[in-house]
Amino acid sequence: MSPVSVSTRIRHFTKRTYVRHVFLLWVFFTIIVGLFAPLQSKLMGPAASTQMEVVQETMTLFTYMAAPVAGLIFAVVAYSLLAWRSKGFVAPEYEGTSSRGNGPTTVAWMLVSSLLCVVLLIWGLAEMADGQTARGDERARIINVTGNQWVWNFDYIENGSVRSQELYLPVNEPVLFHVTSVDVNHSFWIVQMGVKVDANAGVVTDMRVTPTLIGDFDIRCAELCGLNHSAMFTKVHVVSQGDYLAWILKNGGHQ
Amino acid sequence: MRKLNVWTGIVFGVIVAVAAHYLAKRYIPMGADETGTVLMDRVVITTMFGWTLGFMVGVGAFVGPYRWMMNRDLDHDDQMWLAGKDAGMARYFRFTTDHKVVGIQYLVMTMVLFAVGGTMAMMIRTQLMHADSTFLNNTWYNTLVGMHGIIMIIATIIMVSGPFGNFVLPIMIGARDMAFPRLNALSFWLIFAAVPVLLSAPFLGGISTGWTAYAPLSTQAPAGMDAYIVTIIVFAISSAVAGANITTTAVTMRARGMTWNRTPIFVFGTVASVGVAIPAFPMFMASQIFSGLDRTQGAAFYDAANGGSGWLYANLFWLMGHPEVYVILLPALAALLELTPVFSRSPLFSFNSAVGGIAGITGLSMLVWAHHMYASGWAPDLNGPFMLTTELISIPTGMLFLVFIGTIWRGRVWGRLPMLAVYAMLFNFLIGGLTGIYMSDVPVDYALHGSMYITAHFHYTLMGGALTGMIGATAYWFPKMTGRMLNEKIGIPAFVIMQVGFNVTFMGMFLVGLQGQQRRVAHYDKLFENGNFISTMGAYTIGFGALMLLYTVITSWRRGEVASDNPWGAKTLEWMVPTPVPLENFEVPPVVTSDPYGFGGPDAYDLEYEADRRPSDDLETERV
Repeated sequence: MSPVSVSTRIRHFTKRTYVRHVFLLWVFFTIIVGLFAPLQSKLMGPAASTQMEVVQETMTLFTYMAAPVAGLIFAVVAYSLLAWRSKGFVAPEYEGTSSRGNGPTTVAWMLVSSLLCVVLLIWGLAEMADGQTARGDERARIINVTGNQWVWNFDYIENGSVRSQELYLPVNEPVLFHVTSVDVNHSFWIVQMGVKVDANAGVVTDMRVTPTLIGDFDIRCAELCGLNHSAMFTKVHVVSQGDYLAWILKNGGHQ
Repeated sequence: MRKLNVWTGIVFGVIVAVAAHYLAKRYIPMGADETGTVLMDRVVITTMFGWTLGFMVGVGAFVGPYRWMMNRDLDHDDQMWLAGKDAGMARYFRFTTDHKVVGIQYLVMTMVLFAVGGTMAMMIRTQLMHADSTFLNNTWYNTLVGMHGIIMIIATIIMVSGPFGNFVLPIMIGARDMAFPRLNALSFWLIFAAVPVLLSAPFLGGISTGWTAYAPLSTQAPAGMDAYIVTIIVFAISSAVAGANITTTAVTMRARGMTWNRTPIFVFGTVASVGVAIPAFPMFMASQIFSGLDRTQGAAFYDAANGGSGWLYANLFWLMGHPEVYVILLPALAALLELTPVFSRSPLFSFNSAVGGIAGITGLSMLVWAHHMYASGWAPDLNGPFMLTTELISIPTGMLFLVFIGTIWRGRVWGRLPMLAVYAMLFNFLIGGLTGIYMSDVPVDYALHGSMYITAHFHYTLMGGALTGMIGATAYWFPKMTGRMLNEKIGIPAFVIMQVGFNVTFMGMFLVGLQGQQRRVAHYDKLFENGNFISTMGAYTIGFGALMLLYTVITSWRRGEVASDNPWGAKTLEWMVPTPVPLENFEVPPVVTSDPYGFGGPDAYDLEYEADRRPSDDLETERV
């Protein structure tokens, strides 16, 4: 017997029928899973903030990264049921392979999964750094938010002592919310803007958002806060600069 | 001692509970500035502990220590009586130490808990079928949501380690029983005592929190919250005891020749699971003790106005809550890893990687808890590090997936119910696991946290992954535990119906979660109605399939086809003993000479591969 090179062995491997069939199934399932990416974005609706744009981008990227992984698992599962199954109720007459593992496969799997993990991580950290740059650098409008069972109150502290249960925001301007609660935990969630932070009694938590679409969006409480949690709902009206000022003045505030 | 059983336990428990109740009402003081609800909480908690203590005494849990103290230690006959020798069905209804009896008791308990929790789920989904349903009022809805959660969590924690960690594991390692047989029975009966306590919650005003019982809402909650608190304290004791038992058994009682390399993977998974539970559940216990003190003594652990913090609760809770999901998952995955070689007629792919994957998950699981708290505002600077550790967990988990598909690869797959469970788990857990990766990304979690997306994710992992694994384990070990084969003519269709229903239900929840529906809401925006309707139809399908499966289990147990000693042709030690398993398992302790994965034979591709290989040293003669 003469030694056989790795490339020859790989060539032999790729010639085997089951390998080719699994590969085709892999491609097929990868595409199917990939189709979930646009579906996700459609369900989440148009992004109403810079933060939400990043969220949707991330979910799309992660779906495309997950697709080949899921595809491979589904392909092996499907193929084994189609081609390697012993039909019938009784025990199989023949055994399967006696292979107890494959070093190169295991190592390759570890490397690829670690690499994917590193990509996820770098992407995530980059996203988060982006969101943090507003801290101290950019001038954000500060609005206080107070949750109590079961309403939200907004204090427009930069515009006088305007207090309202309605939230108005000027489009394209960064906002910094200081959020707190007077009783139990609530969670201040602006749905279409993809941001939330819990409202806790006795402490203040921060949330930054930059609305990018004019319109009305949903604010839902996202932490079970007792009996009427499902009714703790209000809307945010994102309007032009001018309309925002008009609303503030109408409510007794100042520029 | 021989007169004590579950009935004396119940009677004595009720007596002590009533006595405790009266004494508490009469003598527990109420401060001038305290409200009546505080006194009620004190009375309720005292009553419940009275019940628990009375029940445990009445069922005979303390006979051993008592006799030892009285210098009339149990003799051999007493021990055999305690082990249920020659006792027939009666031994299942008393404090029996035989691990096989305890395993069956756990199996029945688990099924009862799933039935109760599942019924609650049906009620929840009925309410959610329409956007503005009045089927349940808000109090009942919130209570059912919380009860469903905690019942299912308890059920899934015990569902594999309890029945199979007890019945199968000692036989699998060649032992005659577990290391601490009396503690084994104790751990079971503690849960039995806790169940009526937990189920009393709806009648005490309910619980207004979800199963996570967040403070400060938990301080405000009605007296049903006290039932939750007592249940968790008792459950934590039970799992600590069980954990010590399983760990000691696996480490010290393996048969001669069973080195760690020859130890079945199920043992690794179960030991890893309790290894994680042992540090984690005390955190849960502490969190509830503090909650109880806040409610009854005006302690301010979680009260921000008086120097406490709700974040203390969240940290304690999630320090338990995250490892806990691996406590749930690992035994189920390990059971499936154990049966996949048998049903692929092929060895486990890379046993070492399987152990490594389990070890990696176990180690990392203690380091990720605050990914449940990204949006809490507690420590935004720590979100990055927790994102790192959380994303790292995908690596050992992925390794286990490789072991599964590697074992199936070029195997000869036998499509019986245990193996179908493997396939269902691979599908469901993949979806659950991948969606977990989305959520591990902090900005994405800000969008998704607290929505139905989260609910869908954890049902896909815990129910689609772990519970499916438990069903596979039940189907696999059913012949050994009951002496009968599980009827697959109904069992497989039932399983398939459950899986289809499951996917419909929880895919629907991913959809409405992405659309923006929060979790734990009794009413929702009209926008989500279609998705919810679909989920409810899926839920009813699950219910129907589950009932079919229950019917199958019951009828097979009573008059199914009698099973041979090793119907699956497996190689682990539990299949080498007769069915029904004798009281002491082995007449002669076995000596192990190989691992249990010696399946497979050369096939056409193996031979071709042989031809491709480099010559090894012992082919020296050929070169000449």
